[in-house]
Amino acid sequence: MLGAALLAIGVMLFLLIPILRGEWASFDRTDEDPTEIGARKHVALKGLRDAEYDYRAGKLDENDYRQIKAEMSREALDAMEAAKAEVEDPDAAGPAGDPLEAEILRTRRGMAEGTTCLDCGHVNEQRSRFCAACGRPLVAVVSNAPSTGD
Amino acid sequence: MTILGEFALWIALPVGLWGAILGFVGGRKQRGDLVLSAERSVYAVFFLLILASAGIITAFVTDRFEYWYVANYSNRALDMFYKVSGLWAGQRGSLVFWALLLSMFSCIAVFTNRNKNREFMPYVVGVLLSVSSFFLMVLLFGDVNPFERLAFTPADGRGLNPQLQNYWMTIHPPTLYLGFTSFTVPFAFAIAALLTGKLDTRWIAITRGWILLSWFFLANGIIFGMRWAYQELGWGGFWFWDPVENASLLPWLTATAFLHSIQIQENRGMLKVWNMSLVSLTFLLTIFATFLTRSGLIESVHTFAENTKIAMIFLTFLGVVTGICVLLIAWRYPLMKSENQIQSFLSRESAFLFNNLIFLGAAFAIMWGTLFPLITEGLTGQAITVGPPFFNRVNLPIGIALLALTGIGPVIAWRKASRRNLAKNFIWPVVVGTAVVAGLYLQGARQTMALITFGVAAFVVTIITVEFVKGTRARAHIEGEGIPIAFVHLVMRNRRRWGGYIVHLGVVMIFTAFAGAAFDREVTQTLDPGESVSIQSAFGHEYTLTYQGLSSPRGQNMLRQAVALMTVERNGVPVGSLTAEKRLYVTWEAPVTEVGIRSTPFEDLYLILASLEDLGGAFENDASSQRATFEVQVNILVGWIWYGGFILTIGSLIAMWPSKASLTPAPRRAAEERVPAEPVGV
Repeated sequence: MLGAALLAIGVMLFLLIPILRGEWASFDRTDEDPTEIGARKHVALKGLRDAEYDYRAGKLDENDYRQIKAEMSREALDAMEAAKAEVEDPDAAGPAGDPLEAEILRTRRGMAEGTTCLDCGHVNEQRSRFCAACGRPLVAVVSNAPSTGD
Repeated sequence: MTILGEFALWIALPVGLWGAILGFVGGRKQRGDLVLSAERSVYAVFFLLILASAGIITAFVTDRFEYWYVANYSNRALDMFYKVSGLWAGQRGSLVFWALLLSMFSCIAVFTNRNKNREFMPYVVGVLLSVSSFFLMVLLFGDVNPFERLAFTPADGRGLNPQLQNYWMTIHPPTLYLGFTSFTVPFAFAIAALLTGKLDTRWIAITRGWILLSWFFLANGIIFGMRWAYQELGWGGFWFWDPVENASLLPWLTATAFLHSIQIQENRGMLKVWNMSLVSLTFLLTIFATFLTRSGLIESVHTFAENTKIAMIFLTFLGVVTGICVLLIAWRYPLMKSENQIQSFLSRESAFLFNNLIFLGAAFAIMWGTLFPLITEGLTGQAITVGPPFFNRVNLPIGIALLALTGIGPVIAWRKASRRNLAKNFIWPVVVGTAVVAGLYLQGARQTMALITFGVAAFVVTIITVEFVKGTRARAHIEGEGIPIAFVHLVMRNRRRWGGYIVHLGVVMIFTAFAGAAFDREVTQTLDPGESVSIQSAFGHEYTLTYQGLSSPRGQNMLRQAVALMTVERNGVPVGSLTAEKRLYVTWEAPVTEVGIRSTPFEDLYLILASLEDLGGAFENDASSQRATFEVQVNILVGWIWYGGFILTIGSLIAMWPSKASLTPAPRRAAEERVPAEPVGV
């Protein structure tokens, strides 16, 4: 019975210590985490490789291969640009769990997509033409990133 | 130890509930202290369930018959090996075992993700501990507590069902349970993805290894079960479409569909809702399988339990989880729109989609056949049995279509394939398949479905072999490597693809074995010592078995044992001997049959001691009581199931092995992957 009581107390302490001592588990993303951009890039590169193998193995016609290769190259380059931008400006990705960073990211995306009002900063619904908060016309901010077309 | 184990089981439930609630609340409120406490709960539940399991095993080993569970599944003379495995011999212990394995996998998931994927982890912990807590609730409040005491202590136990005293039966349930329980981890990540709204391919990338691991255990668990049935049930078959067999097959079918459809999501950003539905369905089917096995609801050779109270608890849980999954998927539906569309009907994604529909169709047909008798009995009060003829008729064409797809899939390119290329790639495999069918027909084979299966199998093997040859030659040419080195590097550089093809070869071998059953032969004959029985194999040779007589040795845990000895000749040439037995166990009234099997690569000679004219006399070694009836079978290609299972295991291990890319942190990968470095053809 004493063993059972000790067991219960031990387990209880084990569970409560983080709360009593204020020890926190991390919510932050780490370098090891797969990212969506990383996954896109990986898929695009793998797609290129698969298309090349399929063509060499006689599973794809030359015309289809060239078309798919052009598509996949474009996707791979887009993803690599995005990955590069992420490495250069990691904050742009917005660490999970940080509402401020998430808001900044949302605003930036909105500016690129033309849903963020440049006057009052309100982020509108997709395809809005006028700001729901101040009524000003919405315009997209064109990125200076080089074209990624082939 | 046993009392401590009992207490540990009671503590595990509040700990599990505490951790489940804290996981969800901590994730929602972004409270790291609550999440840390929830993660510690996972470790604590595992530790407590180890204590509970150790308590049960100690009770078995020390013959504590005051416990209902020990008294009903063990006896003093039982082999120590089976006493230890008593943990999963019956309903009560196996529910503890289920919870133990789940908590073990939960620990692995939490530990390996302690520094990564943190945004998902609070909810993953919440889901894992919710499922663990459900099983603990079943154990403690479903009248199935393994530590329940009897009002008195019997002098000896009732013993273990003799059919369960078999090596394969000892490893079959744990393997299957490993498959069932490990699938909870991908399910937990899927729910976490739904709750966090992070519905891109990350949750799939994180859990890909878990999905393969679970599939691997499920496949092997099913094959081990077949092996047990073949060796122990004594009727010469390996699959009876028993409700519990079906229940284990259902999650395997949907998991296989899922394994293929996640590739479409990964490669094309499509089928997000479908994949979410499939992962939920597979998880629900693992619970459903456990429910069917251990609730006693459906009559089955596996159902050794009579308690139906837990059936309602299981059904409620299944209903609640289904409801939650449907609501979450509906809630997140707008975030799961397809990024692409199928470009051509002739594409790999299209073939995978077709494969998914067939797998789901098979699962639905099997589930209907399994549940129909139950529903009918519930509505009309009349018991109806849906037997092997129904399942064979429905599943034969489905199986052949799936078999064909294991060959067609690898040859079709992603996105768009042309008819001209398909015709070019298919021509030789079709020629080989047709030649095999024609050759077998000319040899006298007339079993249509078996012939089609052999033809399709030859078609698939040719396709996969050509794939390996083309890939190896391309690599050898580009890299200047020797053929063996090029082959190894080819497989190692894209383990998922080539490991998957090896799995396909294993599946082909297993299907070929199923078709081989169409050529089985059997003879039943009553013999006196010195008399012989002959049987002709489908391969043309003849076996002659000569009955040498009975002996009655005393075995452990057995009252009596009658062993019939037969010498075996193949075309008149002695090739050895076979024994078949009748056993009477200390604690079991009906005699049990043990078969004799002589295995060769292409056929098994299978001997059953069907009956003894004077069983009592035979057990007493009475020389005048030796007359016995034997059933002799020649089972064609049955061994290919086990060989196919071995190949499937090798392929799964290759596909599962962590690749360098997945072990490399993202920034370094980014630097390494700036250019597609892999040479063409690999």
